[in-house]
Amino acid sequence: MQLWLIPVFPLLGFLLNGIFGRRFSKAAVNSIAIGSVLLSFAWVLKTLASLGDLNAAHTEQYFTWIQSGILNVGFDFTVDRLTAVMLLVVTGVGSLIHIYSIGYMAHEGGYYRFFAYLNLFMFFMLTLVLAANYLVMFVGWEGVGLCSYLLIGFYFDKRFATNAGNKAFIVNRIGDFGFSLAMFLIVVNFGSLDFGVVFTSVAGHSEATLTAIAFLLLLGACGKSAQIPLYIWLPDAMAGPTPVSALIHAATMVTAGVYMVARSAAIYTHAPAAMEAVAVVGLATAFFAATIGLAQNDIKKVFAYSTVSQLGYMFLGAGVGAFSAGIYHLVTHAFFKALLFLGAGSVIHALGGEQDVRNMGGLRKKIPWTFWTMLCASVAIAGVPPFAGFYSKDAILLAADKHAPWMYWVGVITAGMTAFYVFRAIFLAFFGQYRGKAHPHESPFVMVGPLVVLAALSLAGGKLFNVPEFLAPLFPLAKESGDIGPMLVSVAFGLAGIALAWLFYVFKPGLPDQVAATFSGLYKLIYNKYFVDEIYDAVVVNPVVGGSREVLWKGVDVAVIDGAVNGVGNRARGIGGVLKRLQSGNIRSYAAWVLLGSVVLLFVMGVMGGLR
Amino acid sequence: MPANIAAFMAPANVEYLRFLPEIILIAAGTLLMLLDVVLRKQSRDIYGHLSILALAAAMAAAVFAYSSPGPAFSDMLLVDGFATFFRVLVIGVGVLTVLSSYRFLQREGAETGEYHALLLFSIAGQCVMVSANELIMIFIGLEISSISSYVLAGYLRDDKRANEAALKYFLLGSFATAFFLYGVAVVYGMTGSTYLTVIRTAISGSPAAPAPVFIGVALALMFVGLAFKVSGAPFQIWAPDVYQGAPTPVSAFLTTGPKAAAFAIFLRIFMTAFEPMARDWYPLVWGSALLSMTIGNFAALTQSNVKRLLGYSSIAHAGYVLVAVAARSHTGTAAAMFYLAAYAFMNIGAFAVVSHLSGKGERFLSVDDFAGLGVRQPGTAALLTIFLLSLIGVPLTGGFFGKFYIFKAALDSHLVWLTVLGLLNSAVAAYYYLRILVVMYMREPGEAAAELEPLPLGLRAALVIPALGTLFLGIFPAWVLDFAGKSSVLVR
Amino acid sequence: MNLLDIVLAIPLVGFLALLLVPRAAEGAIRAIALGFSLVAFAASLGLAFQYETIRPGEQFVTDIVWIASPNIHYHVSLDGLSLWLLILATLLTPICILISWKSIQIRIKEFFAFMLLLEFGLAGVFAAQDLFLFYVFWEVSLVPMYFLIGIWGHERRIYAALKFFLYTFAASVLMLTAIIYVYNHAGTFNYSDILAQLASGKLHFSPYQQMLLFLAFFLAFAVKVPIFPLHTWLPDAHVEAPTAGSVMLASVMLKMGTYGLVRFCLPMFPSAARACAPWIVVLAIIGILYGALVAMVQPNMKKLVAYSSVSHLGFVVLGIFSFTQIGMDGAVYQMLNHGISTGALFVLVGYLYERRHSLVIADYGGVATAAPWLSTVFMITMLASIGLPLLNNFVGEFLVLQGSAQANFRWTVAASIGVILSACYMLWLYQRVFYGETPDEVRRHVFDLKPREWAAIVPLIAMMVWMGVYSQSFLPAVRKASAHILDQTQVNVQIRVQVPGTRTEVAHAR
Repeated sequence: MQLWLIPVFPLLGFLLNGIFGRRFSKAAVNSIAIGSVLLSFAWVLKTLASLGDLNAAHTEQYFTWIQSGILNVGFDFTVDRLTAVMLLVVTGVGSLIHIYSIGYMAHEGGYYRFFAYLNLFMFFMLTLVLAANYLVMFVGWEGVGLCSYLLIGFYFDKRFATNAGNKAFIVNRIGDFGFSLAMFLIVVNFGSLDFGVVFTSVAGHSEATLTAIAFLLLLGACGKSAQIPLYIWLPDAMAGPTPVSALIHAATMVTAGVYMVARSAAIYTHAPAAMEAVAVVGLATAFFAATIGLAQNDIKKVFAYSTVSQLGYMFLGAGVGAFSAGIYHLVTHAFFKALLFLGAGSVIHALGGEQDVRNMGGLRKKIPWTFWTMLCASVAIAGVPPFAGFYSKDAILLAADKHAPWMYWVGVITAGMTAFYVFRAIFLAFFGQYRGKAHPHESPFVMVGPLVVLAALSLAGGKLFNVPEFLAPLFPLAKESGDIGPMLVSVAFGLAGIALAWLFYVFKPGLPDQVAATFSGLYKLIYNKYFVDEIYDAVVVNPVVGGSREVLWKGVDVAVIDGAVNGVGNRARGIGGVLKRLQSGNIRSYAAWVLLGSVVLLFVMGVMGGLR
Repeated sequence: MPANIAAFMAPANVEYLRFLPEIILIAAGTLLMLLDVVLRKQSRDIYGHLSILALAAAMAAAVFAYSSPGPAFSDMLLVDGFATFFRVLVIGVGVLTVLSSYRFLQREGAETGEYHALLLFSIAGQCVMVSANELIMIFIGLEISSISSYVLAGYLRDDKRANEAALKYFLLGSFATAFFLYGVAVVYGMTGSTYLTVIRTAISGSPAAPAPVFIGVALALMFVGLAFKVSGAPFQIWAPDVYQGAPTPVSAFLTTGPKAAAFAIFLRIFMTAFEPMARDWYPLVWGSALLSMTIGNFAALTQSNVKRLLGYSSIAHAGYVLVAVAARSHTGTAAAMFYLAAYAFMNIGAFAVVSHLSGKGERFLSVDDFAGLGVRQPGTAALLTIFLLSLIGVPLTGGFFGKFYIFKAALDSHLVWLTVLGLLNSAVAAYYYLRILVVMYMREPGEAAAELEPLPLGLRAALVIPALGTLFLGIFPAWVLDFAGKSSVLVR
Repeated sequence: MNLLDIVLAIPLVGFLALLLVPRAAEGAIRAIALGFSLVAFAASLGLAFQYETIRPGEQFVTDIVWIASPNIHYHVSLDGLSLWLLILATLLTPICILISWKSIQIRIKEFFAFMLLLEFGLAGVFAAQDLFLFYVFWEVSLVPMYFLIGIWGHERRIYAALKFFLYTFAASVLMLTAIIYVYNHAGTFNYSDILAQLASGKLHFSPYQQMLLFLAFFLAFAVKVPIFPLHTWLPDAHVEAPTAGSVMLASVMLKMGTYGLVRFCLPMFPSAARACAPWIVVLAIIGILYGALVAMVQPNMKKLVAYSSVSHLGFVVLGIFSFTQIGMDGAVYQMLNHGISTGALFVLVGYLYERRHSLVIADYGGVATAAPWLSTVFMITMLASIGLPLLNNFVGEFLVLQGSAQANFRWTVAASIGVILSACYMLWLYQRVFYGETPDEVRRHVFDLKPREWAAIVPLIAMMVWMGVYSQSFLPAVRKASAHILDQTQVNVQIRVQVPGTRTEVAHAR
């Protein structure tokens, strides 16, 4: 079935553009980059079509990658229904965003570089989802991290951009630390990393082991999917070009953690403690990030925190056992969040780089396409039936309610906040009077086209693709409880959020400031993102760097160890000096020495002889 | 008493043959003296050429003499492998010394006739020492060698340092020889003989054996004398001053020839006569060895004068050889022999470079004067590098194998700690030899290098031969070692 | 006279040939040096092809008497462990000659002569099967490196050179003592003989003896590796050495230490090795973390890379003393990886130095704009060195950590933190040197790669990818060797291992 072609197309695109791109015309770069992605999208469709109903996983083995002792890791790909969903999302949404980028990046430097990186990302992302064992998955896992690093720091002459890149890479490394430890434990206990082997023999192992593994994997997932405590890199990641935010930091890469948890469902279901942890982390993140989202003014930051929050939902879903619901939300989220970012991009593009919603307003008329498409996304994310977000979010919340009502309620409140801050952004940007200086203009067709497609998906995607049913063979569906109460409540909260936003930012524009004034303390706190970055710097970064410089390097290395080494040398020379002084040059003292020496010898020999 | 009257009356011809090298050397020496009177200043090099011829003849004789080994003159001499080895060695040292003296004597405008005569006499004395089999004979050889050495040390009359050195050497030297003579006397008193083999049988545990206390004392007295001659601690005190003060080629000679001969008698006496008492005397050697290595190396660390530095280093090297003696085994003896040969090569070579560099009146003797030698005369520098690496003990040089055999012998005799300390010592030593390399290659040329004259023929030979020797001993040590091994068995 | 002997002979012949060339003929000197090193490399590739992976034990054996008594042989051969290390040496020598083509302007003859002599010594170390011969090569390789640092190095070169020589020499004399001691008991320097005698019990050391011998060997190797806290010669040597010197030092010379640990310390003194393993592992882990942390705060690029080596070599030691197949394979593989990627790092830092004449990170910035290809190549090398999958280091680190996880999971947890830190110091370095605004100092001086420079770096990049993607070309041979060594460490292992000082005998495991 040649699964390997799927990632290899973009890889070739990367190599071509990466090596020769500087000499190519933009048209050539485009056709290579987009062509490669479309090809792999087509190949995905062809493959899935020919694989029929994927009730059994289809695996292909290419070559042995690492073999040593009991360990034998092959470079193997596998496709089952879960993979199929991911493949479609990645290549589908990916293609759209590639096309969009033609317009968006048209006037940027390093054009070929951008597309090369984007292709490379596709390669690693597809490797990640196609992997048939944890190590190959890890290849993709690290690879997408690399691309995210490269693309966040795309404007590498800007310090904040490269800082954000480093932050992303290093925080992800912390996550990967967990992931790799998990792999080591798996090998020690299962003797293999192949999904097939591991998941089928889970039952035989102690809950303690599985819990440990599950927790370590969770750490990895937290890094990649920006969950507490490792979410801090994602908001900064917005330093990259907007299409990147849409593709990597909303639709695909950041959802890898969710995918990995779902993939490892067999382990998690045998490790209840870990499951609970996943749910709690997800829920906490969802709520926490949403609160921050309430007060952000940078339109991309708003959507960034919203992404963190939505990822939290997916974790919640997985954590409460509704893996398919999590994946369901992953899919719909890919549609509407990608759309929101691309829309935001279109706005920024229209305003010549302006990102602060306070300097927007009244754009409804000026860039109608962007407005309407973004509105679709907003109603979708707000969970307004019958749009995409509604189905997936509802599925998660129902599962949460079954698992633990309090989780349901927190989730619902978060849903309300989500609706509020998204529409806050929409209202501020598109309604009222224009407060900026630039001359807004609608984006070219290559950008609007993808927006429209995504808008359609955001509206109908939920009903169109019933992911849970598709995944039923993997994750059996919980039976429907006829009770529609919870569903109504969550919808109500969503609508309430929208209404409130309308009240604040369209009906009574003065109100927000009053509110901010009355709750100034709380406002400052969330406006400054709870000072988490500052705390991390003070508690972790600075001590480590300072300690290494002052204590380890200048203290231990230079002063103590090298001091000791050189000290030995000086001591030796000191002894030499003493011996030199014995050499007075005075012949009488020499004679004395000789005499003394011989007396000693005589005495010694006499005594020893005598003893014998 | 093996020496029967008849033997005294008429020595057989073969006995003269066995004494031939000494005869040649003494004859040649006397001839040179006479010539010195006949032809005055002109053609000063003739003496050098003649003495080289003499030495060559003597060496040939020494080798030839070995074709019929055995005692001579009623057992007072014994020509065996051991003797031959050392004869060849000291005569070879003589040749190299002569070669490295040509330019020196010219430069310093010194009398050449007497110089070479004294050299030949000293070597003759050493030949007697190494082939002597009887204490009086040993003493005579020792004196012949020493007295001419004293004179040579002060050969440059108008050089204050040289004179002072000579004086010290003479006074302390005779002081020490006195100890040795006392020792001989006591032994004679105890055993009624001066023949090593007889003494051996007398003291080896027979009921009639004399009280160990006195033997011990006698042994200690002799040890003092010998330790002095090999500049082993605690009697090394004179060495640095003398080696620094003496004319450079003479220092080269003193640190190799007389020292080798002294070690030869050291080994012969202690491994023949006193071997039965090895258990008693080896602690002395042990201590002296450790002391010599440590004092030599550590004191050398801070020296800025190269001759003095090499002086201290020669104390350290004496220490290494003493380790071999302390092993009190045949392998130890063989190792000592090998080491002395290797040391002769590398040390003469090193001193030759020093005398080449030091210039008229030996003005440039500080380590810093080697600056830039590697640029000015890469060839000379390369040769010196070989010698220094050998002195450090880096593989593929004679010095390395010498150390290796010595410490192997020491470990054979379970002297583990002496070995470890000795090898650590050699690591310390690396520092001051490397300093010379550093200056030579890694500093900009200085005054000395600027005034450097092209390498004259004699010196070139005196550098190339030892260099080849060093490498040869480093790469194919087996030849020399096998011979040493065969001839290390002194008692049959 | 088999192919291995030829490979060993070529650099020596080249060295002697160079001595005869007049020093004025600089072009000829360079050409000859490059020619010989390339031929040597080609020949060593021949070794790789002829090597039979399935066959365990030594291959390409030459064993002729050098010195009759004591019985010293010229005995060389290769196994899966030494094969790749030898090829590493022959691969890097031509590369070093290429990068020194222009940068070395004084005493050209000596420089290239020493490069070939160095190659001879290094190759010999890995091939020698006779303990004495091994020691000889070990010391021989020391001398040229001393001169390389001392003559062509930077400001504090003399201090660095002396420190390097004395540190190593002092440690190796203890090894010499141990070697002689072993010889006096076994009656041979022949490595495999000695092991056979140990296996048969014909040769037996008391735990006390074994511990002292082990420590004597270990110290010599530990200094070379270097293992914390014996590492302080390394930063100085690296910073002061000329680029080629740093490359050879980091890529090949440090491996002499780790190679020695695997080849001699483990099989010859198994129970002592096992007894010390926990302590050594602790040192290794300290080295990993400590090296990384100190590297992070270095203001000087070369020092940074030097300390990163301390960290990387820590992984190797960890793998060796995990006493597991996986760990051992990983360790050996990691030796090669470090040779390739850190070697490449030094090459690239050298390129930067030749342009901007500074090693201070603060003097750089925005190089990515001035020299995009140089930046790209550096990026790939950096990614390799921080262990990105599909590049070489990842495979090694993964195996090492996996192996140590089998031995003791706590070790792995601690060591894995080093992987995080490696990203920190490398990315930070990259950011400060290549990103940001471009000062005109940089814009004026820093140009992009030249063909000769490409030729030097491309092979290394290629190796990074090859070794990262298809480790099967290398691992099987390694696996055979390390498996062999591992079961030698099973032989005659005391059940309860002694602390040095107690002479109480104990029963044998078998």
